Amino acid sequence: MADSADSAEIARALLTAAREGPAVASCTVMGATAGVEVSLGAKMLVYEDRTLGGIGGGPLEAGVAEFGRGALPKHLVQTCAFSPDGNLIEGRRAIEAADAIVEILVEVVEPASTLLVVGGGHVGLAVGQLGAMLGMEVAIIDDREEYASPERFPYEAQVICGDFAEELERFPITANTYIVLVSRGHKVDELALRTVAERGAGYVGMIGSKRRTRTVLQHLAEAGVDRDELDRVFTPIGLDIGAETPEEIAVSVLGEIILVRRGGGAQPMSEHGRFLASQRR
Amino acid sequence: MPHDEVYEAMSDAFDGGAPVALATVAQTLGSTPRKTGAKMLVREDGSFVGTIGGGCGEAEVWQEAMDALDDGEARMVTVDLTEPVDGEDKICGGIMRIFVERLES
Repeated sequence: MADSADSAEIARALLTAAREGPAVASCTVMGATAGVEVSLGAKMLVYEDRTLGGIGGGPLEAGVAEFGRGALPKHLVQTCAFSPDGNLIEGRRAIEAADAIVEILVEVVEPASTLLVVGGGHVGLAVGQLGAMLGMEVAIIDDREEYASPERFPYEAQVICGDFAEELERFPITANTYIVLVSRGHKVDELALRTVAERGAGYVGMIGSKRRTRTVLQHLAEAGVDRDELDRVFTPIGLDIGAETPEEIAVSVLGEIILVRRGGGAQPMSEHGRFLASQRR
Repeated sequence: MPHDEVYEAMSDAFDGGAPVALATVAQTLGSTPRKTGAKMLVREDGSFVGTIGGGCGEAEVWQEAMDALDDGEARMVTVDLTEPVDGEDKICGGIMRIFVERLES
């Protein structure tokens, strides 16, 4: 076993992960085919650098631990099938064909993600509102008092009024922080991007036209900001859904954030009449 | 996204030294009201926090959670929502597998 921990210790660790982090992949044995010796409900918590608890040791535990570690950056919540020697079995056919499988619920438990909105204007207001609706911890920064007053935001948000560079430097940024740059102008966005670009945020998006945003990236590259980090910035921001109003732009931006977080194809789910066309053949 | 209420309630229960039963949607097939990871926490007095999908099978899961609190056994509950629509609750049309376990501090 990786570690001996009683269920109380595991429960407390789950609670800590959900409230304060760091993120943990909770791996629970939920079932197995007949003849496979496992303990139903056994749980192993997989952190970036260690594990707590165990699911019976051996190659199964090692394989699940490795998978759990890989699940952390994906925020995965999924039931997975493993062979008793710890290999992931993917796809319905392979699972049905396997002689023996162990079912594991792999669930990343972590604090609410943070949505850091730089700029409290119309777009920032709407982006924050939608983020709050999605259960994110919203923080909004602006240097103008009228755009950074708590009364302006009729939802739960940490409203910060102050110098952009100073406040952003002070703001804690992790892989679970999603940053949206929608300030009053590209000069401020550039300054903000310079401050946050190399700090490992889960997402950085910046509003602006193709031409403007390219100029900003060019400036920062010349100023020595890491080019790979700049390449990861989503700019112009948002999914292409023809958004016009601040609220529509917010949907486009949060849509992009969900896409980054969960993965997906960003296409309509429908088949656009292809179903009926196939019936006519 | 997170399950703040559920973890909050878990913490409160633990502070009072009480165990809880946690029901987590493990797998869904077809159209179901909630997806994998949705949670409901059940206290010893039968009160609960969070939802795994309202009327659709929740009562069954609640009963299993109460049983798990009693006997401490983890279990998998399958809720079949594919029965014919008859104007009653089960209009969702999918199958959910829900893992129920007892946790204590």
